[in-house]
Amino acid sequence: MNRKSMIVSLLLLIGLPLVALHSRNADAAKKEPHADYAQMQIKECTDCHRGAGVTPNHGADWSREHRLMAEKAGSNCADCHQQSFCLDCHVGGGIEPDLSKSISRRGDYMPRTHLADFISLHPIKANDNPQNCYRCHDAAYCFDCHSRMQKNTMNIKSHTRTQAGQQFIFTEEHAREARRNLQSCQTCHPEGNVCLPCHSAVTGFRVNPHPRNWSGGKLQSKGGDRSCRVCH
Amino acid sequence: MKAKLVVLIAAIGVLCIPPRSIAVEMKLGSSTQYLWYNDLITEKDEDAVAQYLRLNVAKLDSAGKATITGYGRATRVFSTGEDVEGRLYYFYLNYRDLVQDVLDVKLGRHFVAIPSGSGLIDGATLDFKGIGPMGLKLLGGRDVKFVAERNEVTGEKDRMLGASLYTDAVRMTHLEASYMQRNNDGDVSRELVGAAFSTYLPGSVSVYADTKYDVLTEATAELLAGVKFSPLEKLTLKGEYYQSFPTFDATSIYSVFAVNEYTEMLVKAEYLLGNAYRISLGYAREDFNDDKDADLYEAGISARPSANFLFDVSYSVRNGYSGDLDGLRLNGTYTIGMNSVSAGMDFADYRRDSMAESEIAKKYWIGAEHKFRQNVSISARAENNENVNFARNYQGVVALNANF
Repeated sequence: MNRKSMIVSLLLLIGLPLVALHSRNADAAKKEPHADYAQMQIKECTDCHRGAGVTPNHGADWSREHRLMAEKAGSNCADCHQQSFCLDCHVGGGIEPDLSKSISRRGDYMPRTHLADFISLHPIKANDNPQNCYRCHDAAYCFDCHSRMQKNTMNIKSHTRTQAGQQFIFTEEHAREARRNLQSCQTCHPEGNVCLPCHSAVTGFRVNPHPRNWSGGKLQSKGGDRSCRVCH
Repeated sequence: MKAKLVVLIAAIGVLCIPPRSIAVEMKLGSSTQYLWYNDLITEKDEDAVAQYLRLNVAKLDSAGKATITGYGRATRVFSTGEDVEGRLYYFYLNYRDLVQDVLDVKLGRHFVAIPSGSGLIDGATLDFKGIGPMGLKLLGGRDVKFVAERNEVTGEKDRMLGASLYTDAVRMTHLEASYMQRNNDGDVSRELVGAAFSTYLPGSVSVYADTKYDVLTEATAELLAGVKFSPLEKLTLKGEYYQSFPTFDATSIYSVFAVNEYTEMLVKAEYLLGNAYRISLGYAREDFNDDKDADLYEAGISARPSANFLFDVSYSVRNGYSGDLDGLRLNGTYTIGMNSVSAGMDFADYRRDSMAESEIAKKYWIGAEHKFRQNVSISARAENNENVNFARNYQGVVALNANF
């Protein structure tokens, strides 16, 4: 953890609760059950929330905001929604007839966050917060498509097309691009075999790929050193 | 393993049935669907049927604390000739207040979310919600995965374990710290510590923060801090700082590579114009390090100008690293009695970094729903896509929906 992250985290996790403690009556308050309000319109919810000092939710940015509310212990999502409401987006189901949802190439429903021709747009949208994709998809999901594509049909800035497939251009930009967007490398090269001729510790050019001050101790001790043994 | 799970859950269900007769309440939801679409990768037209079922059994005990709920899907893709494939999204016993005001239990396949991560598990969640001013949630089980398959692909040794310690002792304030570990084929693949904080301050102000620390790579995987407030009755403003650090499974070689931090500053405003219109504006500055950044502007209107007509329009512009994108979306629905008609379009003008020319993607769709009764309906949707891959690409779905 770098210094900036450490300072911000400490401020958030220690400072803000103290502010809250000093600004509030310390009487514990039991959470209001919301099951009785499940059929209400959001506007009616907002009217009541405003009176109670709660900032409005379920607004225009709710697809981004809901994660923080849903992951809280004791969240009251279940008072109005069943888990199918979560999983129809996160895992691709569709028991509720939502006519505004498109279908993916696999026949699963896609959340409304996916614009037209998302297959072509996703290299751009995946960079608007790279963690977003991984909330519903894992690396194997990317590889499932990328492994089936003909390698010389892809438009990748750092690769040139050849008759046999594609070839990587080894420029200074390669390292920068990999640091910024390493997840995209994994989509076509899940085992990282293409990295080894240069980055292996025992053969080839032996270029060290680790970050500065790298120890890797916990990866080795807890992760079963599978990733270490690929190069060492 | 699956058979064992089903037997276990069935046994739990039977045990929950009390010895004397109680009016068990059962609800069943069903959607039978015919879908047609095109698989861009295989370049084949596909058609399939899907049967969704959702079951809720409540009032299993006299106090109405125990419920069993399940949701699953069976699909058959005609064009590939594959067998019927199935997904069990969840099937679990939910026992609220197993110990009054102290313990809630979920047992079976269910979705879990704590600040350090989320997932679908075959296992148990124990929520000890009344340990003085604190609560403790413990969860664990098989880490269920579907990936891109219609069937489950969970490995025998894929596990997820988690714990979360939280308190709501201070009025309108939530503080939570959690831990999550994922095992892939017996090895620890992820180990995360998470923390979340939120409070509502006087003056309709909320302050919130959320972080995930990756124990194995010793890096802050995510950090979010934000303030949201309503200076006017119908105006809500929000500012957020977000940073993330790409992290990988410890079993992947990519977990040892140097990566850059991503940071984002975001401001958003939302205004309610009368009772019918909601206007939103947003701006985000994205920083990818090494002098690469992007700007994202968003605007939208969501409206219900009359009781039976609603529509929304959204427009976004993104410029910078990895590509430029202008996106417009329009959706609307008009309802007359038991019938409704919906339509919409997407328009995207984009240029990826790797492309010399910009491309345009368009999507048009129309849909309709007829309700035979309040709980039985038929709906249909047809969509056409015009883009770099297809001059015309039609897809759609017809669904018969019922809730009893």
